[in-house]
Amino acid sequence: MLKYGTAIGVAFALLAGPSFAFAQKTTERFIPIGQSPGLSGDYTNIGSIEAVSVQERTVTMSDASGSYSVGIADDTHIWLDKSKIGSTNAVGTVSDLQAGRRIEVKYRDNDPQAAAEWIKVEILE
Amino acid sequence: MKWRSHPGAGSLPGLLFLGCVGLICASSCRPATPAPDDELVARGRDLFFDEAFDGNGRTCGSCHPASNNFTIDPAFAVTLPAGDPLFAAEFDAGLGQNFENPTLMREVGLILENQDGFGDLENDFNMRGVPHTLGLGLSIDSRDGPRSGWSGDGAPGDGSLRSFATGAVIQHFPRTLGRVPGEDFRLPTDEELDALEAFQLSLGRQEELTLPLPLKGRVASRGQEIFNDATLGKCSACHFNAGANGDPGVFGAGAGNLNFNTGVEDLPDQPADLTGEPVPPDDGLGTPGDGTFNTPSLVEAADTGPFFHNNSVETIEGAVVFYNGDAFNNSPAGQLLAGATGGGINLDATQVVEVAAFLRVINTLENIRQSIGFLISFAERRFAGNEEFDQLLARALDETDDGIGVLVAGGLHPVAVAHLREARRLTTEAMESWFSGERLAREAAREQELARDELVGL
Repeated sequence: MLKYGTAIGVAFALLAGPSFAFAQKTTERFIPIGQSPGLSGDYTNIGSIEAVSVQERTVTMSDASGSYSVGIADDTHIWLDKSKIGSTNAVGTVSDLQAGRRIEVKYRDNDPQAAAEWIKVEILE
Repeated sequence: MKWRSHPGAGSLPGLLFLGCVGLICASSCRPATPAPDDELVARGRDLFFDEAFDGNGRTCGSCHPASNNFTIDPAFAVTLPAGDPLFAAEFDAGLGQNFENPTLMREVGLILENQDGFGDLENDFNMRGVPHTLGLGLSIDSRDGPRSGWSGDGAPGDGSLRSFATGAVIQHFPRTLGRVPGEDFRLPTDEELDALEAFQLSLGRQEELTLPLPLKGRVASRGQEIFNDATLGKCSACHFNAGANGDPGVFGAGAGNLNFNTGVEDLPDQPADLTGEPVPPDDGLGTPGDGTFNTPSLVEAADTGPFFHNNSVETIEGAVVFYNGDAFNNSPAGQLLAGATGGGINLDATQVVEVAAFLRVINTLENIRQSIGFLISFAERRFAGNEEFDQLLARALDETDDGIGVLVAGGLHPVAVAHLREARRLTTEAMESWFSGERLAREAAREQELARDELVGL
Protein backbone atom coordinates (compact mmCIF):
# COMPACT_ATOMS: atom_id res chain seq x y z
CA MET A 1 0.00 0.00 0.00
CA LEU A 2 2.80 2.36 0.83
CA LYS A 3 4.43 1.68 -2.51
CA TYR A 4 1.13 2.28 -4.25
CA GLY A 5 0.60 5.40 -2.27
CA THR A 6 4.04 6.79 -3.01
CA ALA A 7 3.83 5.96 -6.68
CA ILE A 8 0.43 7.41 -7.18
CA GLY A 9 1.28 10.38 -5.04
CA VAL A 10 4.26 11.28 -7.18
CA ALA A 11 2.27 10.71 -10.29
CA PHE A 12 -0.64 12.82 -9.26
CA ALA A 13 1.55 15.55 -7.90
CA LEU A 14 2.58 16.06 -11.50
CA LEU A 15 -0.90 16.58 -12.76
CA ALA A 16 -2.66 18.11 -9.82
CA GLY A 17 -3.35 21.79 -10.13
CA PRO A 18 -0.35 24.08 -10.27
CA SER A 19 0.85 25.55 -7.01
CA PHE A 20 0.55 29.17 -7.93
CA ALA A 21 -2.09 31.61 -6.95
CA PHE A 22 -5.07 30.86 -9.10
CA ALA A 23 -4.88 32.73 -12.32
CA GLN A 24 -8.51 33.02 -13.30
CA LYS A 25 -9.86 36.18 -11.75
CA THR A 26 -11.60 37.53 -14.76
CA THR A 27 -14.31 39.32 -12.84
CA GLU A 28 -11.56 41.23 -11.00
CA ARG A 29 -11.48 43.64 -13.91
CA PHE A 30 -14.91 44.96 -13.02
CA ILE A 31 -14.16 45.63 -9.36
CA PRO A 32 -13.35 49.30 -8.75
CA ILE A 33 -10.10 50.37 -7.14
CA GLY A 34 -10.07 49.67 -3.43
CA GLN A 35 -12.93 47.20 -3.41
CA SER A 36 -11.31 43.87 -4.21
CA PRO A 37 -12.49 41.51 -1.47
CA GLY A 38 -9.77 40.18 0.77
CA LEU A 39 -7.10 42.06 -1.16
CA SER A 40 -7.68 45.80 -1.14
CA GLY A 41 -6.13 47.38 1.88
CA ASP A 42 -4.35 44.18 2.89
CA TYR A 43 -2.44 42.92 -0.12
CA THR A 44 -2.58 45.77 -2.58
CA ASN A 45 -1.12 49.25 -2.74
CA ILE A 46 -3.17 52.22 -3.79
CA GLY A 47 -1.47 55.43 -4.83
CA SER A 48 -0.66 57.76 -7.67
CA ILE A 49 1.67 57.27 -10.59
CA GLU A 50 4.79 59.45 -10.43
CA ALA A 51 6.60 58.11 -13.44
CA VAL A 52 6.72 55.22 -15.87
CA SER A 53 9.78 53.65 -17.41
CA VAL A 54 8.92 51.48 -20.36
CA GLN A 55 12.55 50.46 -20.81
CA GLU A 56 12.92 49.34 -17.21
CA ARG A 57 9.37 48.03 -17.15
CA THR A 58 8.54 49.83 -13.96
CA VAL A 59 6.02 52.27 -12.71
CA THR A 60 6.92 54.55 -9.83
CA MET A 61 4.00 55.19 -7.55
CA SER A 62 3.58 57.09 -4.34
CA ASP A 63 1.27 56.81 -1.42
CA ALA A 64 1.30 57.87 2.21
CA SER A 65 4.28 55.60 2.90
CA GLY A 66 6.41 57.23 0.23
CA SER A 67 7.55 56.52 -3.29
CA TYR A 68 8.46 53.12 -4.70
CA SER A 69 8.87 51.19 -7.89
CA VAL A 70 6.59 48.43 -9.17
CA GLY A 71 7.69 45.92 -11.80
CA ILE A 72 5.54 45.25 -14.85
CA ALA A 73 5.75 41.83 -16.47
CA ASP A 74 4.53 40.68 -19.85
CA ASP A 75 1.54 39.05 -18.24
CA THR A 76 0.67 41.87 -15.86
CA HIS A 77 -2.99 42.72 -16.35
CA ILE A 78 -3.72 46.40 -16.73
CA TRP A 79 -7.36 47.29 -16.21
CA LEU A 80 -8.97 50.66 -16.66
CA ASP A 81 -11.36 51.45 -13.83
CA LYS A 82 -14.02 53.63 -15.39
CA SER A 83 -16.64 53.04 -12.73
CA LYS A 84 -16.62 56.66 -11.58
CA ILE A 85 -17.65 57.85 -15.01
CA GLY A 86 -20.25 55.11 -15.41
CA SER A 87 -18.43 53.22 -18.13
CA THR A 88 -17.42 49.63 -18.49
CA ASN A 89 -14.04 48.79 -17.05
CA ALA A 90 -11.72 47.88 -19.88
CA VAL A 91 -8.44 46.19 -20.61
CA GLY A 92 -5.62 48.73 -20.76
CA THR A 93 -2.00 48.86 -21.83
CA VAL A 94 1.22 50.31 -20.46
CA SER A 95 0.38 53.53 -22.27
CA ASP A 96 -2.54 53.99 -19.89
CA LEU A 97 -0.12 54.24 -16.98
CA GLN A 98 0.18 57.99 -16.94
CA ALA A 99 1.64 60.24 -14.26
CA GLY A 100 -0.96 61.55 -11.87
CA ARG A 101 -3.42 58.73 -12.35
CA ARG A 102 -4.58 56.79 -9.33
CA ILE A 103 -3.76 53.10 -9.40
CA GLU A 104 -4.13 49.96 -7.33
CA VAL A 105 -1.40 47.32 -7.56
CA LYS A 106 -1.68 43.64 -6.69
CA TYR A 107 1.68 41.87 -6.58
CA ARG A 108 2.22 38.35 -7.78
CA ASP A 109 1.99 35.94 -4.84
CA ASN A 110 1.37 39.03 -2.70
CA ASP A 111 5.11 39.63 -2.72
CA PRO A 112 5.92 43.37 -3.02
CA GLN A 113 9.30 42.45 -4.51
CA ALA A 114 7.63 40.61 -7.35
CA ALA A 115 6.14 42.14 -10.47
CA ALA A 116 2.55 43.28 -10.46
CA GLU A 117 -0.07 40.65 -11.14
CA TRP A 118 -2.54 43.39 -12.00
CA ILE A 119 -2.74 47.15 -12.00
CA LYS A 120 -6.03 49.02 -11.98
CA VAL A 121 -5.89 52.52 -13.37
CA GLU A 122 -8.57 55.02 -12.47
CA ILE A 123 -9.97 56.81 -15.52
CA LEU A 124 -11.90 59.97 -14.78
CA GLU A 125 -12.39 61.45 -18.21
CA MET B 1 -36.90 35.18 11.16
CA LYS B 2 -40.37 34.27 10.02
CA TRP B 3 -43.11 32.45 11.83
CA ARG B 4 -44.60 29.22 10.77
CA SER B 5 -47.68 29.73 8.62
CA HIS B 6 -50.81 27.72 9.34
CA PRO B 7 -53.50 26.94 6.80
CA GLY B 8 -56.40 29.36 7.09
CA ALA B 9 -54.31 31.96 8.85
CA GLY B 10 -55.64 34.65 6.54
CA SER B 11 -59.32 34.06 7.37
CA LEU B 12 -61.16 35.83 10.21
CA PRO B 13 -61.70 32.67 12.28
CA GLY B 14 -58.15 31.78 11.59
CA LEU B 15 -56.91 35.17 12.78
CA LEU B 16 -59.06 35.02 15.93
CA PHE B 17 -57.82 31.54 16.61
CA LEU B 18 -54.24 32.54 16.06
CA GLY B 19 -54.74 35.47 18.41
CA CYS B 20 -55.88 33.15 21.19
CA VAL B 21 -53.11 30.71 20.54
CA GLY B 22 -50.70 33.62 20.49
CA LEU B 23 -51.82 34.69 23.96
CA ILE B 24 -51.47 31.20 25.31
CA CYS B 25 -48.08 30.34 23.89
CA ALA B 26 -46.50 33.65 23.08
CA SER B 27 -43.23 32.54 24.59
CA SER B 28 -43.31 28.76 24.32
CA CYS B 29 -43.87 28.78 20.53
CA ARG B 30 -40.91 30.98 19.77
CA PRO B 31 -37.64 29.55 18.61
CA ALA B 32 -34.84 30.11 21.08
CA THR B 33 -32.94 33.37 20.85
CA PRO B 34 -30.22 32.92 18.28
CA ALA B 35 -26.56 32.99 19.17
CA PRO B 36 -24.50 35.71 17.45
CA ASP B 37 -23.05 33.30 14.91
CA ASP B 38 -26.51 32.06 14.08
CA GLU B 39 -27.56 35.63 13.47
CA LEU B 40 -24.73 36.06 10.98
CA VAL B 41 -25.76 32.84 9.26
CA ALA B 42 -29.38 33.98 9.20
CA ARG B 43 -28.34 37.32 7.74
CA GLY B 44 -26.39 35.43 5.11
CA ARG B 45 -29.39 33.29 4.37
CA ASP B 46 -31.56 36.35 3.79
CA LEU B 47 -28.95 37.78 1.45
CA PHE B 48 -28.45 34.49 -0.35
CA PHE B 49 -32.11 34.08 -1.21
CA ASP B 50 -33.47 37.62 -1.28
CA GLU B 51 -30.74 40.07 -2.24
CA ALA B 52 -30.44 40.87 -5.94
CA PHE B 53 -27.68 43.46 -5.49
CA ASP B 54 -29.53 45.93 -7.73
CA GLY B 55 -28.97 43.64 -10.68
CA ASN B 56 -31.18 41.66 -13.03
CA GLY B 57 -33.28 40.13 -10.27
CA ARG B 58 -31.27 37.01 -9.70
CA THR B 59 -30.17 36.06 -6.23
CA CYS B 60 -27.65 33.43 -5.19
CA GLY B 61 -30.66 31.19 -4.63
CA SER B 62 -31.69 31.49 -8.27
CA CYS B 63 -29.02 28.97 -9.20
CA HIS B 64 -28.63 27.46 -5.72
CA PRO B 65 -32.20 26.80 -4.51
CA ALA B 66 -32.48 25.12 -1.12
CA SER B 67 -35.35 22.95 -2.29
CA ASN B 68 -33.18 21.39 -5.00
CA ASN B 69 -30.02 20.74 -3.03
CA PHE B 70 -28.63 24.17 -3.89
CA THR B 71 -28.20 23.32 -7.54
CA ILE B 72 -30.30 23.34 -10.69
CA ASP B 73 -31.10 20.71 -13.28
CA PRO B 74 -33.57 20.53 -16.17
CA ALA B 75 -36.24 18.86 -14.02
CA PHE B 76 -36.07 21.72 -11.55
CA ALA B 77 -35.88 24.43 -14.19
CA VAL B 78 -39.13 23.27 -15.76
CA THR B 79 -40.95 23.92 -12.48
CA LEU B 80 -40.04 27.62 -12.51
CA PRO B 81 -42.26 30.33 -13.99
CA ALA B 82 -41.18 31.81 -17.30
CA GLY B 83 -40.41 35.10 -15.60
CA ASP B 84 -38.01 33.64 -13.07
CA PRO B 85 -34.80 35.69 -13.06
CA LEU B 86 -32.86 32.52 -13.80
CA PHE B 87 -34.18 32.91 -17.32
CA ALA B 88 -33.28 36.59 -17.58
CA ALA B 89 -31.65 36.03 -20.95
CA GLU B 90 -35.03 35.03 -22.37
CA PHE B 91 -36.86 38.26 -21.54
CA ASP B 92 -34.34 40.93 -20.55
CA ALA B 93 -33.36 42.98 -23.58
CA GLY B 94 -30.00 43.87 -22.09
CA LEU B 95 -29.09 40.24 -21.64
CA GLY B 96 -30.37 38.66 -24.82
CA GLN B 97 -26.99 37.94 -26.32
CA ASN B 98 -23.92 36.27 -24.80
CA PHE B 99 -25.25 36.19 -21.25
CA GLU B 100 -26.74 32.71 -21.16
CA ASN B 101 -27.76 30.03 -23.63
CA PRO B 102 -31.44 29.36 -22.83
CA THR B 103 -31.48 26.05 -24.68
CA LEU B 104 -28.54 24.69 -22.75
CA MET B 105 -29.91 26.07 -19.50
CA ARG B 106 -33.30 24.46 -19.92
CA GLU B 107 -32.24 21.19 -21.56
CA VAL B 108 -28.94 20.46 -19.82
CA GLY B 109 -28.94 22.74 -16.78
CA LEU B 110 -25.85 24.64 -17.91
CA ILE B 111 -24.99 28.25 -17.17
CA LEU B 112 -22.55 30.48 -19.02
CA GLU B 113 -19.23 31.47 -17.45
CA ASN B 114 -16.57 33.76 -18.88
CA GLN B 115 -13.76 31.93 -17.16
CA ASP B 116 -11.08 33.24 -19.46
CA GLY B 117 -12.18 36.84 -19.65
CA PHE B 118 -14.76 39.14 -21.15
CA GLY B 119 -12.88 40.22 -24.27
CA ASP B 120 -14.75 38.03 -26.77
CA LEU B 121 -18.20 37.31 -25.41
CA GLU B 122 -19.35 35.73 -28.64
CA ASN B 123 -16.78 32.97 -28.66
CA ASP B 124 -14.91 32.85 -25.38
CA PHE B 125 -17.12 31.26 -22.73
CA ASN B 126 -17.74 27.97 -20.96
CA MET B 127 -20.97 26.17 -20.26
CA ARG B 128 -20.96 24.64 -16.79
CA GLY B 129 -23.29 22.94 -14.37
CA VAL B 130 -24.11 24.52 -11.03
CA PRO B 131 -22.16 22.98 -8.16
CA HIS B 132 -24.20 22.54 -4.99
CA THR B 133 -23.07 24.47 -1.94
CA LEU B 134 -23.30 21.66 0.61
CA GLY B 135 -20.36 20.74 2.81
CA LEU B 136 -18.22 23.57 1.45
CA GLY B 137 -16.20 23.70 4.65
CA LEU B 138 -14.96 20.22 3.79
CA SER B 139 -14.36 20.60 0.10
CA ILE B 140 -12.64 23.81 -0.95
CA ASP B 141 -9.42 24.01 1.03
CA SER B 142 -6.21 23.03 -0.69
CA ARG B 143 -2.51 23.57 -0.24
CA ASP B 144 -2.73 26.26 -2.88
CA GLY B 145 -5.58 28.09 -1.26
CA PRO B 146 -9.33 27.75 -1.58
CA ARG B 147 -10.70 26.14 -4.71
CA SER B 148 -14.11 27.48 -5.58
CA GLY B 149 -16.15 26.78 -8.67
CA TRP B 150 -15.64 23.84 -11.02
CA SER B 151 -12.06 24.64 -11.90
CA GLY B 152 -11.15 25.93 -8.46
CA ASP B 153 -10.57 29.48 -9.64
CA GLY B 154 -13.99 31.01 -9.54
CA ALA B 155 -13.38 33.83 -7.09
CA PRO B 156 -11.80 37.23 -7.64
CA GLY B 157 -10.02 39.13 -4.87
CA ASP B 158 -8.22 36.72 -2.58
CA GLY B 159 -9.85 33.71 -4.23
CA SER B 160 -11.76 32.75 -1.10
CA LEU B 161 -15.32 31.55 -0.71
CA ARG B 162 -16.01 34.93 0.88
CA SER B 163 -14.89 36.68 -2.31
CA PHE B 164 -16.75 34.27 -4.56
CA ALA B 165 -20.00 36.20 -4.11
CA THR B 166 -18.43 39.31 -5.60
CA GLY B 167 -17.45 37.45 -8.74
CA ALA B 168 -20.85 35.78 -8.93
CA VAL B 169 -22.63 39.12 -8.82
CA ILE B 170 -20.46 40.46 -11.63
CA GLN B 171 -20.85 37.33 -13.76
CA HIS B 172 -24.48 36.42 -13.16
CA PHE B 173 -26.36 39.41 -11.77
CA PRO B 174 -25.76 42.35 -14.17
CA ARG B 175 -28.53 44.31 -15.84
CA THR B 176 -26.38 44.70 -18.95
CA LEU B 177 -23.15 43.19 -20.16
CA GLY B 178 -21.44 46.52 -19.57
CA ARG B 179 -21.13 45.31 -16.00
CA VAL B 180 -20.69 48.78 -14.56
CA PRO B 181 -20.68 48.71 -10.75
CA GLY B 182 -23.31 51.04 -9.36
CA GLU B 183 -25.33 50.87 -12.56
CA ASP B 184 -25.63 47.23 -13.57
CA PHE B 185 -25.30 45.89 -10.03
CA ARG B 186 -23.86 46.85 -6.71
CA LEU B 187 -21.00 44.95 -5.15
CA PRO B 188 -21.58 43.15 -1.85
CA THR B 189 -20.26 44.99 1.17
CA ASP B 190 -17.72 43.44 3.53
CA GLU B 191 -20.47 42.75 6.05
CA GLU B 192 -22.55 41.05 3.38
CA LEU B 193 -19.62 38.94 2.24
CA ASP B 194 -19.03 37.82 5.83
CA ALA B 195 -22.66 36.82 6.20
CA LEU B 196 -22.85 35.04 2.85
CA GLU B 197 -19.75 33.07 3.66
CA ALA B 198 -21.07 32.10 7.09
CA PHE B 199 -24.35 30.92 5.58
CA GLN B 200 -22.68 28.86 2.89
CA LEU B 201 -20.31 27.23 5.35
CA SER B 202 -23.27 26.26 7.54
CA LEU B 203 -24.89 24.18 4.82
CA GLY B 204 -24.73 20.40 4.78
CA ARG B 205 -22.10 18.26 6.38
CA GLN B 206 -19.72 19.72 8.89
CA GLU B 207 -17.74 16.49 9.32
CA GLU B 208 -16.18 13.95 7.01
CA LEU B 209 -17.37 10.37 7.01
CA THR B 210 -14.92 7.80 8.33
CA LEU B 211 -14.86 4.84 5.98
CA PRO B 212 -15.48 1.98 6.04
CA LEU B 213 -19.00 2.33 7.38
CA PRO B 214 -20.72 -0.75 8.83
CA LEU B 215 -23.19 -0.92 5.98
CA LYS B 216 -25.93 -3.55 6.18
CA GLY B 217 -26.71 -3.94 2.50
CA ARG B 218 -24.54 -6.51 0.75
CA VAL B 219 -24.46 -4.68 -2.56
CA ALA B 220 -23.54 -1.29 -1.08
CA SER B 221 -21.10 -2.96 1.27
CA ARG B 222 -19.28 -4.59 -1.64
CA GLY B 223 -19.40 -1.25 -3.42
CA GLN B 224 -17.66 0.36 -0.49
CA GLU B 225 -14.91 -2.30 -0.63
CA ILE B 226 -14.39 -1.69 -4.33
CA PHE B 227 -14.42 2.06 -3.78
CA ASN B 228 -11.63 1.81 -1.22
CA ASP B 229 -9.66 -0.91 -3.01
CA ALA B 230 -6.41 0.58 -4.32
CA THR B 231 -6.19 -2.12 -6.99
CA LEU B 232 -9.81 -2.20 -8.14
CA GLY B 233 -11.99 0.88 -7.84
CA LYS B 234 -9.11 3.18 -6.87
CA CYS B 235 -11.70 5.82 -5.99
CA SER B 236 -10.56 6.77 -2.51
CA ALA B 237 -7.20 8.16 -3.63
CA CYS B 238 -8.93 11.31 -4.82
CA HIS B 239 -12.19 10.94 -2.88
CA PHE B 240 -10.87 10.10 0.58
CA ASN B 241 -13.77 9.05 2.79
CA ALA B 242 -15.96 9.68 -0.24
CA GLY B 243 -15.35 13.39 0.11
CA ALA B 244 -13.65 15.99 -2.06
CA ASN B 245 -10.12 15.68 -0.73
CA GLY B 246 -7.07 13.63 -1.62
CA ASP B 247 -6.06 10.66 0.51
CA PRO B 248 -3.38 11.90 2.95
CA GLY B 249 -1.70 8.51 2.62
CA VAL B 250 -1.24 9.18 -1.07
CA PHE B 251 -0.91 12.93 -1.36
CA GLY B 252 0.41 13.77 2.09
CA ALA B 253 -1.23 15.35 5.08
CA GLY B 254 -3.38 18.36 4.33
CA ALA B 255 -3.56 17.71 0.60
CA GLY B 256 -7.11 18.92 0.64
CA ASN B 257 -8.94 19.48 -2.59
CA LEU B 258 -7.07 18.69 -5.81
CA ASN B 259 -7.48 19.47 -9.48
CA PHE B 260 -7.17 16.80 -12.19
CA ASN B 261 -7.61 16.48 -15.91
CA THR B 262 -9.75 13.36 -16.04
CA GLY B 263 -10.76 13.71 -19.68
CA VAL B 264 -14.40 14.62 -19.14
CA GLU B 265 -14.07 17.12 -21.97
CA ASP B 266 -13.21 14.23 -24.29
CA LEU B 267 -16.41 12.28 -23.66
CA PRO B 268 -18.22 11.59 -26.94
CA ASP B 269 -21.83 12.50 -27.61
CA GLN B 270 -22.23 14.86 -24.69
CA PRO B 271 -25.81 16.06 -24.12
CA ALA B 272 -24.81 19.69 -24.60
CA ASP B 273 -23.17 18.90 -27.94
CA LEU B 274 -26.22 16.95 -29.08
CA THR B 275 -28.29 20.14 -28.89
CA GLY B 276 -26.27 21.66 -31.71
CA GLU B 277 -25.68 24.77 -29.63
CA PRO B 278 -22.16 26.25 -29.52
CA VAL B 279 -20.19 24.72 -26.67
CA PRO B 280 -16.53 25.77 -26.74
CA PRO B 281 -14.01 23.45 -25.10
CA ASP B 282 -13.60 24.18 -21.40
CA ASP B 283 -9.92 24.44 -20.51
CA GLY B 284 -10.41 24.40 -16.74
CA LEU B 285 -8.10 26.09 -14.27
CA GLY B 286 -6.26 29.21 -15.32
CA THR B 287 -6.07 31.46 -18.34
CA PRO B 288 -5.24 29.79 -20.62
CA GLY B 289 -6.44 26.75 -18.75
CA ASP B 290 -4.49 23.65 -17.90
CA GLY B 291 -7.41 21.30 -18.48
CA THR B 292 -7.92 20.47 -14.82
CA PHE B 293 -11.06 20.61 -12.70
CA ASN B 294 -11.43 20.17 -9.01
CA THR B 295 -12.70 17.12 -7.20
CA PRO B 296 -16.30 17.21 -5.94
CA SER B 297 -17.50 15.45 -2.83
CA LEU B 298 -19.29 12.16 -3.46
CA VAL B 299 -21.37 12.02 -0.29
CA GLU B 300 -23.81 14.51 -1.77
CA ALA B 301 -23.48 13.24 -5.33
CA ALA B 302 -26.38 10.86 -5.89
CA ASP B 303 -29.09 13.51 -5.54
CA THR B 304 -27.22 16.41 -7.13
CA GLY B 305 -26.70 15.22 -10.68
CA PRO B 306 -26.17 15.63 -13.57
CA PHE B 307 -22.48 14.98 -13.08
CA PHE B 308 -19.14 16.54 -13.92
CA HIS B 309 -18.49 20.18 -14.75
CA ASN B 310 -20.53 20.08 -17.93
CA ASN B 311 -23.47 17.94 -16.79
CA SER B 312 -22.35 15.33 -19.27
CA VAL B 313 -23.64 12.30 -17.36
CA GLU B 314 -27.13 12.02 -15.89
CA THR B 315 -26.93 9.07 -13.51
CA ILE B 316 -24.62 8.10 -10.68
CA GLU B 317 -24.06 4.73 -12.36
CA GLY B 318 -22.98 6.58 -15.50
CA ALA B 319 -20.60 8.69 -13.45
CA VAL B 320 -18.94 5.53 -12.10
CA VAL B 321 -18.80 3.98 -15.56
CA PHE B 322 -16.98 7.07 -16.80
CA TYR B 323 -13.82 5.83 -15.08
CA ASN B 324 -13.99 2.61 -17.12
CA GLY B 325 -14.02 4.39 -20.42
CA ASP B 326 -11.49 5.69 -22.89
CA ALA B 327 -12.03 9.33 -21.99
CA PHE B 328 -10.72 8.76 -18.47
CA ASN B 329 -8.20 6.00 -19.11
CA ASN B 330 -6.56 7.99 -21.91
CA SER B 331 -6.60 11.23 -19.94
CA PRO B 332 -3.56 12.61 -18.11
CA ALA B 333 -5.08 11.49 -14.81
CA GLY B 334 -6.01 8.07 -16.17
CA GLN B 335 -2.60 7.51 -17.72
CA LEU B 336 -0.74 8.38 -14.56
CA LEU B 337 -3.08 6.27 -12.48
CA ALA B 338 -2.43 3.36 -14.80
CA GLY B 339 1.30 3.92 -14.59
CA ALA B 340 1.25 4.08 -10.82
CA THR B 341 -1.00 1.11 -10.24
CA GLY B 342 -0.25 -1.15 -13.17
CA GLY B 343 -3.46 -0.54 -15.05
CA GLY B 344 -6.50 1.58 -15.58
CA ILE B 345 -9.87 1.18 -13.95
CA ASN B 346 -11.89 -1.68 -15.35
CA LEU B 347 -14.99 -2.55 -13.38
CA ASP B 348 -17.64 -4.95 -14.60
CA ALA B 349 -21.31 -4.02 -14.63
CA THR B 350 -22.03 -5.63 -11.28
CA GLN B 351 -19.14 -3.73 -9.70
CA VAL B 352 -20.21 -0.43 -11.24
CA VAL B 353 -23.67 -0.89 -9.78
CA GLU B 354 -22.17 -1.84 -6.43
CA VAL B 355 -20.05 1.30 -6.22
CA ALA B 356 -23.07 3.35 -7.25
CA ALA B 357 -25.15 1.59 -4.60
CA PHE B 358 -22.57 2.59 -2.01
CA LEU B 359 -22.80 6.20 -3.18
CA ARG B 360 -26.58 6.04 -3.10
CA VAL B 361 -26.57 4.73 0.45
CA ILE B 362 -24.16 7.33 1.84
CA ASN B 363 -26.18 10.03 0.08
CA THR B 364 -29.33 8.74 1.73
CA LEU B 365 -27.60 8.65 5.11
CA GLU B 366 -26.85 12.34 4.62
CA ASN B 367 -30.48 12.97 3.61
CA ILE B 368 -31.57 11.27 6.81
CA ARG B 369 -29.08 13.21 8.93
CA GLN B 370 -30.31 16.48 7.53
CA SER B 371 -33.98 15.49 7.83
CA ILE B 372 -33.57 14.58 11.48
CA GLY B 373 -31.82 17.89 12.07
CA PHE B 374 -34.66 19.86 10.53
CA LEU B 375 -37.34 17.84 12.33
CA ILE B 376 -35.71 18.10 15.75
CA SER B 377 -35.03 21.81 15.26
CA PHE B 378 -38.72 22.21 14.60
CA ALA B 379 -39.82 20.03 17.51
CA GLU B 380 -37.51 21.77 19.94
CA ARG B 381 -38.24 25.24 18.56
CA ARG B 382 -34.56 25.66 18.07
CA PHE B 383 -33.28 28.55 16.02
CA ALA B 384 -31.65 27.25 12.88
CA GLY B 385 -29.85 30.16 11.32
CA ASN B 386 -29.46 28.59 7.92
CA GLU B 387 -33.14 27.82 7.51
CA GLU B 388 -36.24 29.84 8.21
CA PHE B 389 -38.25 28.30 11.00
CA ASP B 390 -41.38 27.97 8.92
CA GLN B 391 -39.43 26.09 6.27
CA LEU B 392 -37.92 23.43 8.50
CA LEU B 393 -40.57 20.81 7.82
CA ALA B 394 -40.57 21.55 4.10
CA ARG B 395 -36.81 21.09 4.04
CA ALA B 396 -37.14 17.83 5.96
CA LEU B 397 -39.63 16.75 3.33
CA ASP B 398 -37.23 17.67 0.51
CA GLU B 399 -34.47 15.60 2.07
CA THR B 400 -36.82 12.70 2.70
CA ASP B 401 -37.97 12.75 -0.90
CA ASP B 402 -34.38 12.78 -2.04
CA GLY B 403 -33.53 9.80 0.15
CA ILE B 404 -36.51 7.85 -1.13
CA GLY B 405 -35.71 8.70 -4.73
CA VAL B 406 -32.05 7.81 -4.43
CA LEU B 407 -32.76 4.40 -2.91
CA VAL B 408 -35.69 3.51 -5.16
CA ALA B 409 -33.76 4.40 -8.33
CA GLY B 410 -31.06 1.96 -7.25
CA GLY B 411 -33.49 -0.77 -6.17
CA LEU B 412 -32.04 -0.57 -2.67
CA HIS B 413 -33.30 -1.11 0.86
CA PRO B 414 -37.10 -1.39 0.45
CA VAL B 415 -37.65 -1.51 4.21
CA ALA B 416 -35.72 1.73 4.69
CA VAL B 417 -37.79 3.25 1.90
CA ALA B 418 -40.95 2.23 3.74
CA HIS B 419 -39.73 3.97 6.88
CA LEU B 420 -38.85 7.08 4.90
CA ARG B 421 -42.29 7.07 3.32
CA GLU B 422 -43.82 6.89 6.78
CA ALA B 423 -41.55 9.74 7.86
CA ARG B 424 -42.77 11.66 4.87
CA ARG B 425 -46.41 11.05 5.82
CA LEU B 426 -45.78 12.16 9.39
CA THR B 427 -43.89 15.25 8.28
CA THR B 428 -46.69 16.24 5.94
CA GLU B 429 -49.20 15.71 8.75
CA ALA B 430 -47.04 17.85 11.04
CA MET B 431 -47.13 20.63 8.48
CA GLU B 432 -50.91 20.57 8.49
CA SER B 433 -51.48 20.11 12.20
CA TRP B 434 -52.46 22.88 14.59
CA PHE B 435 -51.62 21.13 17.81
CA SER B 436 -49.55 18.02 17.13
CA GLY B 437 -46.77 19.34 14.95
CA GLU B 438 -44.03 18.82 17.47
CA ARG B 439 -45.10 15.28 18.33
CA LEU B 440 -45.48 14.36 14.69
CA ALA B 441 -42.08 15.84 13.87
CA ARG B 442 -40.50 13.70 16.57
CA GLU B 443 -42.29 10.63 15.26
CA ALA B 444 -41.07 11.44 11.78
CA ALA B 445 -37.54 11.75 13.12
CA ARG B 446 -37.95 8.34 14.72
CA GLU B 447 -38.94 6.85 11.39
CA GLN B 448 -35.86 8.46 9.87
CA GLU B 449 -33.77 6.73 12.53
CA LEU B 450 -35.39 3.40 11.74
CA ALA B 451 -34.59 3.94 8.08
CA ARG B 452 -31.00 4.73 8.99
CA ASP B 453 -30.83 1.57 11.07
CA GLU B 454 -31.70 -0.39 7.95
CA LEU B 455 -28.73 1.10 6.12
CA VAL B 456 -25.98 1.16 8.67
CA GLY B 457 -25.29 -0.22 12.12
CA LEU B 458 -22.98 -2.26 14.24
